[in-house]
Amino acid sequence: MVRLTDLPEHDRNHLIAKNMTPLGPTPFVRMQKPLAHRRVALITTAGLHFRDDAVFDLMDASYRVIPGDLRGDELVMSHSSVNYDRSGFQQDLNVVFPIDRFRELVDEKVIGSLADQHFSFMGALVLPPKYEASARQVAAILRKDHVDTVFLTPV
Amino acid sequence: MSAISYFLELEGIQTTGISLVRENTECLKPPRFLWTSFPLGRPLGKPGDPAFQRRVIMAALGLLERESGPVLEDYPEDLPSVAADEVSVCPVNFSMPAADDSSWQVRLANERLLMQPWYSLSLRRRGRTTVGIAKAPIEELMAQVAQALDVPDIASVDLKSLKYALEDLKAFYQEALTAQPGNHDPQETARIMWHDTVLGRSMLAIHDRLAASESARIQAFARGIAPRDQAQNRSP
Repeated sequence: MVRLTDLPEHDRNHLIAKNMTPLGPTPFVRMQKPLAHRRVALITTAGLHFRDDAVFDLMDASYRVIPGDLRGDELVMSHSSVNYDRSGFQQDLNVVFPIDRFRELVDEKVIGSLADQHFSFMGALVLPPKYEASARQVAAILRKDHVDTVFLTPV
Repeated sequence: MSAISYFLELEGIQTTGISLVRENTECLKPPRFLWTSFPLGRPLGKPGDPAFQRRVIMAALGLLERESGPVLEDYPEDLPSVAADEVSVCPVNFSMPAADDSSWQVRLANERLLMQPWYSLSLRRRGRTTVGIAKAPIEELMAQVAQALDVPDIASVDLKSLKYALEDLKAFYQEALTAQPGNHDPQETARIMWHDTVLGRSMLAIHDRLAASESARIQAFARGIAPRDQAQNRSP
């Protein structure tokens, strides 16, 4: 369990040191249409990519593209941190990148559709403002694909 | 994660998702997150349990309907604890001969032979492997680790390449250790890999040599080799 009170002191202190101030006033987009009409992209900061993509560097705010028609057996993880569990991802991609669950939600018409492309970042060592350029680039690509909703997963 | 949601929402795209460290998310005040009590590395909680994963997703998607924010909601469901008799046992016996003075290379190569059938089983059962960032066969990666421990100054090796080799070897081991069907306790899997295997001992030896360096850059590599809890909690 990641309740800080349950962690050893060195881990607790490390995580508390990551407490940052907000980037600015919280932007807040209100729901424009029901879930069943939405187009959803997945974005993870788990450092996932294809075997022939460049691995993530130790400090890296760039992103990798994950096409919507990916097969589950193609992704590897080159996140620089060693302080989290990878065995869940090794057993089941969906525990980190729930693509099969979202495909099921589309099949059942719970959500409208999935994006043509999803995205992967590597969330470690990089300060929040450094993600601005790549995140805004991704936003432009998503808008072109008529994506209105993003589901985010960390590790 | 919070930063990406902030910039996407500034660009007019609505976001929701999972937070694993509530305190970090609380400070950054991103638009919408669902905090879960799951271990770091497992935002959807439970591998191989689509119904469990779906409940988490639906709770996070439900936050999209809120009229104002920031929203940071606690997900009410913890991971069910697994009874000791339900946990799959480690398939490999790692007990070492009392006096094994073989080289790292020999011991690692022998251990690979023990792991290989379980890795193969994992591959067959899951139809996938997450080994593949170092782009070299496991035997070569093992040799690279042994060589790093044999050179007088470990800082002279290509540390980035060594880290990628170790990540692939850890994936190879963890996939093998969890190859059997059933529940696997992530902490126990990690404990076995770091403290019962030759690979674990070799990684801790590499960590210790790097950590002893006076260079901050080399010390940072040490932190990228061994997790804090495994480096600090050595078995006697």
